[in-house]
Amino acid sequence: MKFKLNLITLALLANTGFAVAADGYGVANANTEKVKLSAWSCKGCVVETGVSGTVGVGVGYNSEDDIRSANAFGTSNEVAGKLDADLAYIGENGYRASIEAYQLGMDGGRLDINAGKLGQYNVNVNYRQIATYDTNSALTPYSGMDGNNLTLPDNWVTAGSSSQMPLLMDNLNSLELSLKRERTGLGFEYQGESLWSTYVNYMREEKTGLKQASGSFFNQSMMLAEPVDYTTDTIEAGVKLKGERWFTALNYNGSIFKNEYNQLNYDSAFNPTFGAQTSGAMALDPDNQSHTVSLMGQYNQSTNVVSGRILAGQMSQDQALVTSGYGFQTPTEAVDAKVDLLGINLKLVSKVTNSLRLSGSYDYHDRDNNTQIEEWTQISINDVNGKVAYNTPYDNTSQRFKVAADYRITQGMKLDGGYDFKRDERDYQDRETTDENIVWARFRVNSFDMWDMWVKGSYGQRDGSEYQASEWTSSETNSLLRKYNLADRDRTQVEARITHTPLESLTIDVGARYALDDYTDTVIGLTESKDTSYDANVSYMITADLLATAFYNYQIIESEQAGSSNYSTPTWTGYIEDRVDVVGAGISYNNLLENKLRMGLDYTYSDSDSNTQVRQGITGDYGDYFAKVHNINLYAQYQATEKMALRFDYKVENYKDNDAANDIAVDGIWNVVGFGSNSHDYTAQMIMLSMSYKL
Amino acid sequence: MKNSLKMKNLLPALAISLAMSAVMSLCIVPSAHASKWDDKMTPEQVEATLDKKFAEGSYSPKGADSCLMCHKKSEKVMDLFKGVHGAIDSSKSPMAGLQCEACHGPMGLHNKGGNEPMITFGKQSTLSADKQNSVCMGCHQDDKRMSWNGGHHDNADVACASCHQVHVAKDPVLAKNTEMEVCTSCHTKQKADLNKRSSHPLKWAQMTCSDCHNPHGSMTDSDLNKPSINETCYACHAEKRGPKLWEHAPVTENCVTCHNPHGSVNDAMLKTRAPQLCQQCHASDGHASNAYLGNTGSGSNVGDNAFTGGRSCLNCHSQVHGSNHPSGKLLQR
Repeated sequence: MKFKLNLITLALLANTGFAVAADGYGVANANTEKVKLSAWSCKGCVVETGVSGTVGVGVGYNSEDDIRSANAFGTSNEVAGKLDADLAYIGENGYRASIEAYQLGMDGGRLDINAGKLGQYNVNVNYRQIATYDTNSALTPYSGMDGNNLTLPDNWVTAGSSSQMPLLMDNLNSLELSLKRERTGLGFEYQGESLWSTYVNYMREEKTGLKQASGSFFNQSMMLAEPVDYTTDTIEAGVKLKGERWFTALNYNGSIFKNEYNQLNYDSAFNPTFGAQTSGAMALDPDNQSHTVSLMGQYNQSTNVVSGRILAGQMSQDQALVTSGYGFQTPTEAVDAKVDLLGINLKLVSKVTNSLRLSGSYDYHDRDNNTQIEEWTQISINDVNGKVAYNTPYDNTSQRFKVAADYRITQGMKLDGGYDFKRDERDYQDRETTDENIVWARFRVNSFDMWDMWVKGSYGQRDGSEYQASEWTSSETNSLLRKYNLADRDRTQVEARITHTPLESLTIDVGARYALDDYTDTVIGLTESKDTSYDANVSYMITADLLATAFYNYQIIESEQAGSSNYSTPTWTGYIEDRVDVVGAGISYNNLLENKLRMGLDYTYSDSDSNTQVRQGITGDYGDYFAKVHNINLYAQYQATEKMALRFDYKVENYKDNDAANDIAVDGIWNVVGFGSNSHDYTAQMIMLSMSYKL
Repeated sequence: MKNSLKMKNLLPALAISLAMSAVMSLCIVPSAHASKWDDKMTPEQVEATLDKKFAEGSYSPKGADSCLMCHKKSEKVMDLFKGVHGAIDSSKSPMAGLQCEACHGPMGLHNKGGNEPMITFGKQSTLSADKQNSVCMGCHQDDKRMSWNGGHHDNADVACASCHQVHVAKDPVLAKNTEMEVCTSCHTKQKADLNKRSSHPLKWAQMTCSDCHNPHGSMTDSDLNKPSINETCYACHAEKRGPKLWEHAPVTENCVTCHNPHGSVNDAMLKTRAPQLCQQCHASDGHASNAYLGNTGSGSNVGDNAFTGGRSCLNCHSQVHGSNHPSGKLLQR
């Protein structure tokens, strides 16, 4: 049968009997009056049972000494093994199981095991690891890094400046700053025959390692290795109910954080100053808990969809306070800190016609800190009796109101736009209320086969209640200062993108963005920030087996700020220019050697560079601050037999960074005992051989 | 169409270049041709016909067997039975309901030569993303997808089938090791960000975009998984949750005030380095107000003093995320 209805006839049909399809083709809308399901069969439907998939093992060799290369190579060991698996089991009566392992045994390894009966229940076991490496050559005179008591050598001789410490240079040991997370999870899901389902997921994360901190006495400071030994238990559970046009879910989310160490004790390397302290104690992150319950739902009435969520939660902490060396009475042994959270979201999306959709939403989020306000004596440098201060439990409330319209002018031309209003209220801060009004619009054309383009613009204006330096934050703040997160701000953003597909096999995509933040009422503080970027991407399928891709990104962020060293109008300005270039190219060749070999090469280069200038009469700069990295990944995979494949990977990372402010010796700053220069400059290589077997 | 075009070239690219699993190779489908009816009808005519057919509800006499009479020759069609959508022993599968026609719409007279349009998905379909997606959303209605309507990807006309496949054993887009490349094929700014001096470990797929964002939309700004920016951060950085005795106001309100979570040219994903970042908000009389010039060429150097060298302000105010020490007001202990 040929369809020769013209557009007018079709439009008439659509307007008379078939407007219902504006709601779409979901099964809930299906007209099933005429279906004779009793006559239906599925003799041709074949589900093969059994086990299928692949398993693989690999071994890698990494020759690099600089541990930073382990971020890219996924292992800090010279030799590392890995296990990959992608196995699926399909049984009778809907029983299914799967095992997915990705680089298990290496950093970033994952394991996900599922077993259950389709549409009824599923049991999940999972494991995941993340490791990040900063340096293995930080230098420190301290020992005790396996705990929380950092001590100097017994015979340590203090001095007024780091360069005069007689034992410093002879007692330096190198130290690794890296963090490792290991997550183990267990989940269970059950679906009722109709309407309802329930789930519970438990996860334990252990995070261990060392991170950088500083311990200070008056104006003297030592860089310290802070122990990280965290355990976080997370539980998620919920019940979901579902009908043809609605659903609702009640969820609980709990998180319990435990820190093995609640304080870090350290010797002072310097001569004692005020208070004659020779050792200090820093409070580490306290054990804490968070519990949230949320109820959400959605109703889908033909052309209107209403969704909502209400959530209530509490974050709390009552870790015993650190009193070592404090010397004053505390009003309580532990702060019974509690923050109540309340969130409400409501959203309506209405499809007015086939080409016009309207939406509106309201969001409310409140953080109410109910921690008791107490009087706390602060160890003071110029008054041995100490100064009294009161803690400031911050509350904040944010409200968002948004409306938007989405209008399809023709099949390939669309205009959408909207208005957002944001109100934020805070206490104990320099400004109680900030209001932001934003309008935005986007126009998109993809009516031609080979072109797709869009442009988006937005303009936002933020102002608010009277700005005054808060007595709670600092009574001495320059009254001309406007903190940038509270200040009046005009924000302009424009973005455009063009995708051109001149050939079926070739796609060229270019985009540009510009954003300007103008802090209109700021004399002291951040006055302006400009962010400009563009990018180009090409993908070319040269033959059915040969693909080449390339991309380039460029970004420049320029910020200006002003300060006053005489506590009045500006006497100095700061100018910061951040530049980033990222270039990449890749080529891959498939089906070589009678379809047995495939090869590929990927290359990326990124250059992050920041330049800071400060001018007060004369101009100074902050020297080199860059990171340049080249990455090459080459691989070849050979299908040795029908079942077995061999793979060879060769990876190179050439990395170089610098930070002039830290390119200094341990005693480079008279009142700081540092970690020494931790810039990196290496060319690391890794070879990996792996084998996979298809079941 | 943009996204489907990009995905079209991207997926084979991923399949070849990453080649991590046999599954990915399923993406390399022989270049499909447009449907038969597209030669004779405009997209508007196709849509109007589908609307009419859907309303009339002329389903096939024998269900899937009616369809397979012609389509069983296609490997791609039969691959449906390797995945969950083709499960024949699950009450939740489309095979337990209207079978093929649950997604592709009532057969009508399509079996008479295949000229009459059916609902089709993916890159070759001329049907609007919205109409394609209405099929998927008809069943996939739950708390993880409740914000799809009017959400970021919905507004950008991204079809479910731009990313997902159902005629496969396992949907390749769900692979964590290739997820970042799928997302950054459109989100190019984030692709640059994750290559900067500091970023979350996304570049080597230790983390993925969906650790923080829900691609199907959420009720939080930027489609975050948790109810607020900070609660999203606390999901992994629970130690910063506190509440601590001495709070740093912007820390309690919005981590993004100081950090760019996608990456930065500065260490620790800071928007600006210290002391400039701190001096954008702190100008009390004394050392916070002073100009720190760095290298002036006349004796002063950026690395020779504790205000600009080492950790700058953090040399003393180390506890910038808050302190739980009784004497921690200045975030030093």
